[in-house]
Amino acid sequence: MDIKRNYYEDIELFKSNTILVWSILFLIFLAILPWFIMKYHLLGLSIYIVNLIAVHAIVAIGLNILVGFTGQISMGHAGFFALGAFTAVILVLRWSFPLWIALPVAGFVSSAFGFILGLPALRLKGPYLAIATLGFGMTITTIIKRMEFFGGRMGLQAPKLELFGTPMKDIHYYYVIMVIAVLMTIGAVKLIKTRVGRAFIAIRDSDIAAEAMGVNLTYYKTLAFAVSAFYAGVAGGLYAFILGFINPESFHLIMSITFLAMVVVGGLGSVMGPICGATLMTYLDIKLQAIQDISLIGPALVTLSQKYMSIAGISNIAVIVYGLIMILIVLFEPLGIFGFWIRTKRYWKTWPF
Amino acid sequence: MMKKNLIWVGLLVFTFFIAATASAQAVRGVTDTEILIGQWGPQTGPAAPWGAVARGTDLLVKMINDQGGIHGRKFKYFLRDDSYMPAKTKAIAKEFVEQIGVFAVVGGVGVATGMTARDYLMENKVPWGGPVTGVYEWIHPIQKYLFAVYPLYDDEAFNMTGYLHEKLGFKKIAMFYQNDDYGKQGVMGVERYLLKHKIKLVEKVSAEVTDRDLSTHALKLKNSGAEAVIMWTNPTGAALILGESAKIGFKPQWATSSTLSDSALMMQITRGLWGGMITSFFGELPDSNHPLMVKYREAHKKFAPQERWGVFYYAGIIFAEPFFEGVRRAGRNLTTESWVKAMETIKDFQGIGPPITYAGIKDRQGGKHVFYGKVRPDGSIERITDWIRITK
Repeated sequence: MDIKRNYYEDIELFKSNTILVWSILFLIFLAILPWFIMKYHLLGLSIYIVNLIAVHAIVAIGLNILVGFTGQISMGHAGFFALGAFTAVILVLRWSFPLWIALPVAGFVSSAFGFILGLPALRLKGPYLAIATLGFGMTITTIIKRMEFFGGRMGLQAPKLELFGTPMKDIHYYYVIMVIAVLMTIGAVKLIKTRVGRAFIAIRDSDIAAEAMGVNLTYYKTLAFAVSAFYAGVAGGLYAFILGFINPESFHLIMSITFLAMVVVGGLGSVMGPICGATLMTYLDIKLQAIQDISLIGPALVTLSQKYMSIAGISNIAVIVYGLIMILIVLFEPLGIFGFWIRTKRYWKTWPF
Repeated sequence: MMKKNLIWVGLLVFTFFIAATASAQAVRGVTDTEILIGQWGPQTGPAAPWGAVARGTDLLVKMINDQGGIHGRKFKYFLRDDSYMPAKTKAIAKEFVEQIGVFAVVGGVGVATGMTARDYLMENKVPWGGPVTGVYEWIHPIQKYLFAVYPLYDDEAFNMTGYLHEKLGFKKIAMFYQNDDYGKQGVMGVERYLLKHKIKLVEKVSAEVTDRDLSTHALKLKNSGAEAVIMWTNPTGAALILGESAKIGFKPQWATSSTLSDSALMMQITRGLWGGMITSFFGELPDSNHPLMVKYREAHKKFAPQERWGVFYYAGIIFAEPFFEGVRRAGRNLTTESWVKAMETIKDFQGIGPPITYAGIKDRQGGKHVFYGKVRPDGSIERITDWIRITK
């Protein structure tokens, strides 16, 4: 059952055969998902949207290492995301690096900045840290805007990549992104279970107690920022290529807050949580507008919104529903979507009690 | 046995062949009775005021459908809110092509947003008529299926400087612009003109889009002794610089681009300081007696009385008119190629925007004219020139 006899049993990736089987099934599902999407447009999805979801999931997992496990906060993750995006594009565009080198480099550039941002975090806590990171996010995009090297305010067009001589399409990016996303998810799970992750959690629960137990605060706090920024950097690099065009204006404060919301809605302090959060929020953000195409309900909602809210129509409703879902989840399930999952699992396990 | 198998294989190949030719013949988004078109535009978020453009196009679609459509086909118009976020714009473009299956995209506000969709639309041979920005990105390199309408900002600034210098006789000209791509295209045009005529720009002041204190900027402009100041900025920047200048008693002749041509709105946010402004226009004035404008205003009352009849709103008509003209000229047999061919025959076509020509030109820049107007103290506009060609 759930009793652990030694450390190595605890850090195992698959705790039981059931989990192993489900994980394999999930991987198979991911492998054949594009086929379903292309054939049936499942839930109105396109492969591009799934790619976007996966990219956001990578950022959210990284951010959760910082927020959910280490107890620090960052409202500047769009800055790391932008750094990754611009680094990757410039490496490929100006110096013709292959993508598989450009992505990790983008990640390391971001994590270097993450380390630097981690230094003030040693002295700042809570809202003060939030403001410092927020300032960082805004500064990065302003600097990028001001430098012609980064394409200035206009931005950069990501070069078209080729795979064995054919231009890469969404479907090719899908497999690239999924492999990276799965690897980074496993990386996060492993990280949390080992010494480093335990140090993070100790800092989250009480940094003074952690220090008393011999956890080096300077090292682990800056490490948490660096790791988190690495995730954002790699995701940023992928984002640039699936979008095809990046400009500094699009990496704004709202984006940082959305990342944070993905983590909170999904569930702080778990690896699956942010993935759920990223999936739900990205999907709703893009697809909620499709309500207007539903017959009868759609036109009725548009009229309602135009009459009592503003001329913008269905967008008003979409924004309200989006916000409402977020509020309800946080209000009734503080552990986020992942909390639902835990409760459902417990309910079935203990049924009929 | 062998023969029987061969027959089956033959039949299978035959059906595949039929199926392939059948699907190749069908045009995406065009049926016997309908043509599907789409547009993205910010309905929420900081750029929401520009979203009126996409709703203006809706008015034109309703009008055309009310008159029975074009060649027996009515239009089904899909409007999507991208909140001015490029990632969403691309998702919308994909939805248009892969799920809804539109024939064409019309309009679309924003450079960064449109640029994420441009290559995708072109690779899939989706006609795109009239992106709502006047930048080189749409025409360099030339895109076969993309037909630009909006006059280029760079040429607009070039010509406006010429107008101030040659027609109005201003010798000392200064420039105020916002530090971004849009503002820089304005500076480029102004400096190009002045360099050509060997005149010095007396002062060049830039501000960040987020700057809220422009008092030193105004002082710099005043100290330069400029008689005329050209500004290339967003509405907020314009209101701030006018306010600060008025405070220190600096009253030059101001002039600005067509993006600030909604003078009723500008009058409101500048609290009356907008009077006397010289603006270029890419479309008829809101109260114009142009027969088409009269018709559109009637349609506005009939189909969308809740909307404000402002420049942004009917710009949605201006940028869509050439697209529909192309559909008209392509005839009943509408395909992507026949539409492109039809667009390439357009010469001096004029709706309520600038005269549009695609025939016989190397680029795809249809709109090359603006006219100038001066804002009266009550916010209405006095038209001071006819359409002037700004792009040679």
